[in-house]
Amino acid sequence: MHPFIVLVSRDMRKDYEKLFANLNPKEPPLGLFDRIILAIKQEQELRHTRRLLFGFLSLLLISLITTSLSGATLVNQIESSGITYFISTAVSDLGTFFALWQDFGLAILESLPIMGMTIFLLSLAISVFTLRLFLHRKRLLLGYLIQSFT
Amino acid sequence: MNYSDQQLVADYIAGDEKSLEILIKRYLKPIYSFICRYVGNEQEAEDITQEVFVKVWRSLKKFDQSKSFKTWIFSIAKNTSIDWLRKKKTIPFSSFENEEGKNLLTEKLADPAPLPNKILERAGIAEILNIAINQLNPKYRMVLFLRYNDYFNFREIAEVLSEPLNTIKSRHRRALILLKKLLFIKP
Repeated sequence: MHPFIVLVSRDMRKDYEKLFANLNPKEPPLGLFDRIILAIKQEQELRHTRRLLFGFLSLLLISLITTSLSGATLVNQIESSGITYFISTAVSDLGTFFALWQDFGLAILESLPIMGMTIFLLSLAISVFTLRLFLHRKRLLLGYLIQSFT
Repeated sequence: MNYSDQQLVADYIAGDEKSLEILIKRYLKPIYSFICRYVGNEQEAEDITQEVFVKVWRSLKKFDQSKSFKTWIFSIAKNTSIDWLRKKKTIPFSSFENEEGKNLLTEKLADPAPLPNKILERAGIAEILNIAINQLNPKYRMVLFLRYNDYFNFREIAEVLSEPLNTIKSRHRRALILLKKLLFIKP
């Protein structure tokens, strides 16, 4: 670029900078900074609630499915094991049961579907725990859900 | 200590919440002022400024730190202002420009030159300048503000306004011609 053009454009820029210096940038109103921080905090909470709700719902869904499946398996296992036979015998003949209670007890224990029961009880506990957590934060989560649907 | 924007962004991403507050404080005035000029209403500018900073917070973790934070935040401010105006359907479209973006009025005027002293020394120049600037098309207004108030170079303005560099240069030239003309008309 020609040095004259550079000189002119530099002078021009200085002139306009001087001119625009008369036009002070608008001052933001007092409290705007706090409003922004508050809005960000609210967004943060909203994001946190959304994650929490997603976590709760996923866990609840998984645990409910697991509970019903393991419940069905447990019923099947109980039916196929001899436990019902032992119990009905014990109930129909209480005298013999009390006389041979140790053998009866061992037989019942041996026929218990331990694995099925453990899985069922564990998934049931998780469902109850999740529901309790949901109820504990119900105001926050229901507030979010209502807000989302309105 | 005066940290750079890049440093503050990196610190925030690393978990320092205070860095974001410093960034907001640093850019609150220029962004508010920019939006005020863009939408021409202080009450609306307040709401848009708030929205801009919330958007910045939302996407700060995705921000490409090799790029300029200043340009990025001004782009967000510009886009948010446009969206806001669109929602209100009061976007001040150019009344001078033709379809190719050329201004028939300014194309015929002479090149801009340094301002005569009598303009710079005129009493009440701020008020006159305000009136003259408000008469300018918002596109011209924004280029002038970014150039002389926020000290952007042409490349940065082009990035903020998402326009080609040459368009910005010619828009700047036309804006100066129009502004000078408006300043001369005013007694």
